[in-house]
Amino acid sequence: MDLYAQNILDRYKNPFYKDKKLDAVINHKEANRSCGDKVELSLKIEGDKVTGYAFSGNGCAVSMASADMLGDLIEGMTKEEILKLTKEEIYAMLGIEISIRRSKCALLGLLALQNALLSEPRSWSDYHI
Amino acid sequence: MDYKKDFPIFKQRPELVYLDNAATSQKPQAVLDSEKNYYERLNSNVHRGAHFLAEEATIAYEGTRQAVADFIGAGKTNEIVFTRNATEGINLVARSYGDEFLNEGDEVLLSKMEHHSNIVPWLQLKERKGIVVKYLDIDDDGQFVFDGSQITSKTKFVSLTGMSNILGSIPNLKPIIEAAHEKGAKVLIDACQLAVHSPIDVQELDVDFLVLSAHKIYGPTGVGVLYGKEELLKQMPPFMGGGEMIQEVFEDHFSPAEIPHKFEAGTPNIAGVVVMKAAIDYISKIGFDQIQKEEHELTEYALEKLKSLPYLSLVGPKTSKNRGSVISFTIKGVHPHDIAEGLSQSNICIRSGQHCGQILMDYCDLSATARISLAFYNTKSDVDKTVKALEEIYQYFN
Ligand SMILES: Cc1ncc(COP(=O)(O)O)c(C=O)c1O
Repeated sequence: MDLYAQNILDRYKNPFYKDKKLDAVINHKEANRSCGDKVELSLKIEGDKVTGYAFSGNGCAVSMASADMLGDLIEGMTKEEILKLTKEEIYAMLGIEISIRRSKCALLGLLALQNALLSEPRSWSDYHI
Repeated sequence: MDYKKDFPIFKQRPELVYLDNAATSQKPQAVLDSEKNYYERLNSNVHRGAHFLAEEATIAYEGTRQAVADFIGAGKTNEIVFTRNATEGINLVARSYGDEFLNEGDEVLLSKMEHHSNIVPWLQLKERKGIVVKYLDIDDDGQFVFDGSQITSKTKFVSLTGMSNILGSIPNLKPIIEAAHEKGAKVLIDACQLAVHSPIDVQELDVDFLVLSAHKIYGPTGVGVLYGKEELLKQMPPFMGGGEMIQEVFEDHFSPAEIPHKFEAGTPNIAGVVVMKAAIDYISKIGFDQIQKEEHELTEYALEKLKSLPYLSLVGPKTSKNRGSVISFTIKGVHPHDIAEGLSQSNICIRSGQHCGQILMDYCDLSATARISLAFYNTKSDVDKTVKALEEIYQYFN
């Protein structure tokens, strides 16, 4: 069985940002009820920059690895840059092919992150999936 | 017996192990032939043409109504309404019967193992009319927790599943139906899962309404059945308006057609309805005795094999007693979605997630399960392949 690429499995098994303590300013939760995945993000904001990232949650390897890798991706980014992140950039970050049936798993972290920063929340259709 | 040879998909995809029958079953050759035959020889609109072709199509369409009535033991064909699916049947009852006969404060009793399609229409009725929705608890065997006290003079409607699409359990409905009728409440049974595993007799059960979907009983998608007792269907106002369902139309009013046409507005899924008869005939040809024997044996086998994996937990009844061939489970350290993905890579189709049963998931404190659902055409070798793949998936993550 060679289910996922090694990087996904590693980040799923040994996440860096999962359940980390953070004096967060923003907490935000998103769920994909159809498969039962949940991601709750904590963000620390200084000025227009996101300076701290942590998450908790429960889900498949793709959703959890993606939420974890997102922490590296957004390091040093401004809010504006984060809001511009696209699904293609997330797929590139994961480095594996994402089938339609797994697209929500891959993007749950991004949805939670962007909605944490928005007053008008985005939905799946905004990612054209 | 090799029943798979009756199902062309297994010829097209020889490696396919299809264990997602509770979502939809595969279709036998006879059903595919019937669809082709309908469009090649009968295609025409029903009930509205003066020509011979319309008459032949109408005869075929109404022939399925008779076949369905016989299939579920209904006494009269006008008690059979064709819908798009079981979900539409429940919505029809909640809208038509619910809006007409239920009032603020009246109680509708459901259970915690209902499919969303037997919950949301009642929550919508709650929004419209202020009814109260109550739920029966579920015990470890997947049976309803019922001692009579859950049905009171306030209970006006009881809507329950005949078999859980998550736990696989087949609840004992008789005492609940009797208690409901004693208090004057009406009863709907969601037979979506039950209908493919067990013969049904609506008169013997004495249900007021029953719904099912053709696509789960080896028939086509896009056709559902609502059974309703004649005297109730007659009292109920139409659900949707349009052609087919009217007697007369004037500028300021209309009069509806008689049942069952009153509830079949617009051109129905004629081909689908006609083809459904081929599915029913196929089931009759195999026979429920045989289907149940095969499925019981497969379920026992699968349960034993799954129980032998120490890291796997069954969700729902642990034995093959009072259950159909639907088995939910979880694996330590592996999310159900990853289980399904891993099996998918081995050509094995199962379902993972919440199975349209969020209330049960929350009640059992589970975020998701993996579910295999077997049909009589599955084999012990399908189960063996699945168990082997599950072992590999567990190794991969641990
Ligand atoms: C128990 C139960 N009820 C209702 C439904 C809804 O069936 P349909 O989507 O065909 O209307 C299903 C299908 O998954 C089911 O398993």
